[in-house]
Amino acid sequence: MASPLLQVLLDGLLAGGTYALMAAGMALILGVVKVINLSHGAFFTLGAYVAYALAARGVESPIAAAPLAAVIAFAFGVFLGKSFVNPVRSHPFALTVGTLAFALLFEQAAQMVWGPHPLSIDAGAPWIGPGGLVVRRWGVIAFFSSAALLGGLKWLLSARPGLSLRLIAEDEEIAGSLGMDVETIRYLTFGGACAMAAAAGALLSPSGAVTPTMGRAPLLLSLVVVIVAGMDSVAAIFLLSIGLGILGNACAWFLSPQWSYVALLAAVCLLLSARPAGIVALAGRRD
Amino acid sequence: MRNAAPFRAPKVSLRGGTPPARSTWRGGWLAAGIGLLLFFPLSSPDAFFLDVFTTGFLLAAFAASWDVVGGVSGQTTLGHALPFGTAAYACALLTSFAGWPLPLAVGAAVLLAAAVGAGIGTLSAPLAGPFVALLTLALGEIAHEVAVGHTFFSGPGGYAWGGEGGIPVALPWRDASPFSSYYAALGFLCLASFGMLRFLRSEAGLILRAVAGSPITAQASGVPIARFKRLAFAVGSAFAGAAGAGFALHVGRATATDLSLELSFQAATFAAVGGRGTIVGPVVAALVLHLLFQGLSLPPSVRVLLYALTLLLVLRFFPGGVVGTARDLASRLGGKEGGRSRRIRGRYRNGEGAP
Repeated sequence: MASPLLQVLLDGLLAGGTYALMAAGMALILGVVKVINLSHGAFFTLGAYVAYALAARGVESPIAAAPLAAVIAFAFGVFLGKSFVNPVRSHPFALTVGTLAFALLFEQAAQMVWGPHPLSIDAGAPWIGPGGLVVRRWGVIAFFSSAALLGGLKWLLSARPGLSLRLIAEDEEIAGSLGMDVETIRYLTFGGACAMAAAAGALLSPSGAVTPTMGRAPLLLSLVVVIVAGMDSVAAIFLLSIGLGILGNACAWFLSPQWSYVALLAAVCLLLSARPAGIVALAGRRD
Repeated sequence: MRNAAPFRAPKVSLRGGTPPARSTWRGGWLAAGIGLLLFFPLSSPDAFFLDVFTTGFLLAAFAASWDVVGGVSGQTTLGHALPFGTAAYACALLTSFAGWPLPLAVGAAVLLAAAVGAGIGTLSAPLAGPFVALLTLALGEIAHEVAVGHTFFSGPGGYAWGGEGGIPVALPWRDASPFSSYYAALGFLCLASFGMLRFLRSEAGLILRAVAGSPITAQASGVPIARFKRLAFAVGSAFAGAAGAGFALHVGRATATDLSLELSFQAATFAAVGGRGTIVGPVVAALVLHLLFQGLSLPPSVRVLLYALTLLLVLRFFPGGVVGTARDLASRLGGKEGGRSRRIRGRYRNGEGAP
């Protein structure tokens, strides 16, 4: 048994790095679609359940589950983006309550299909590192796949196809007048970001219990990340997610697991009280 | 601003735009509905249906109280279960743990709910649009987590109180007859709706509508908007607390579901379906949807699923609100007077998007 502090640091680092994938998706939606997506946690849950369903059929590999979950979530995300978010975009009430409705819809559907009790995925035996430090195999794989995907995103945003995304985030009217199909890019981005959340859910599924409401804590973590780190820098999102992952893990270890959720909720309250303007990109919106 | 003259709202009649004939027509329908509800228990229905109706009345009052905050005042709250559950828990703790007499405990619970509402209003007043929803959602979830995870008292006989099982309310009566519960809840709903409508037709209500329409315009005409937002939260929460205390008395127990996100969400659903900002609309929507889904005795998860589906469809096809769309439609069919209301409606809608 290693010192708990070291163990907490390691587990928090691995989990936080994977949460960053989800937070980056949230930031992408905020930047391009300019919407707070309260259903982002539901896509995380979707990914975890896809991984569970595959594991129950003998494919115990989050690496296989992540692409499948991403494809399914992309389909759902495109549907949600094209047929709900895009048409009601200028109505803040409908957007906020509607995305929450979708999240609750999914939670209840998951509860009906898989039941309310926590499920778990066999992650295989962990490695025992120096000093008795427990290194979860899937945690390491999830961390590096997430980092690789985020690196890919960073490259994509700086390359030619990312230019239209950045231009729409900057000024959608100019983007439209340059002949870009803003509506299509919006719902494709929404779908892609949902796929990122689902991939994060699939990658993280072996590290905890799979329950219908498991997506709520990562949703709040993503919100805290985008409020603090903004949407410009992928690196800032990555580092902040790791910090929050370590913090959440410390809360779960030293207090009890539910306190890490309460700590995130409290962080959202404190941040909003300290920064009433909230997320800068949304506050500056005029429509 | 401190030494400026105290703010006085101009005396304006809200009823100015409505022709009297239409409002009596509406009043007639309301009277017919209340008459039917008064008559219903006499037709010797099943006790199960009486219970469904009783819960429906309390939920309807809760939905109307959401509308005071979220509809009329435009402060989209997703944590309205917080004052509801606070009052329910206060009722349970004060009667069972502190041994207070019931009326005193209910009064204290309602006051506590109003104070909680004022607190939420103070925190959320500087925030705009979706951030009010985020903050209230987070506050409600914190309260829910604390209620679920904390078996904070152990009652007499060594039972652990709190957690999933909740806390019992010490009731002075043994078994309330379903009839008396039904009529008490119906009476409460009528009184509460009347109170809320009166409040919204008062000066303060008029100002709240102005704040919801365009905060900047309201501020420019000298309205202290933070204070009025706080007032909206306090009044709405007091009514929500009254409904919560009533619910705790009806069920005989305060449980963590009284604080859940699902309950807050239900209130928003009723309001969005019935028409935000009308008070009567959410009451009718709550009664119809609750009776429909509960009367069919669907399991709770199917019910929440159907609520979410209904809400998504309503929001998708009436994103600006059911009432606004209906009014637009009426004005397209109607004459001059309707054209004017459409123009006002359009301006209101523009104000909604501004921070």
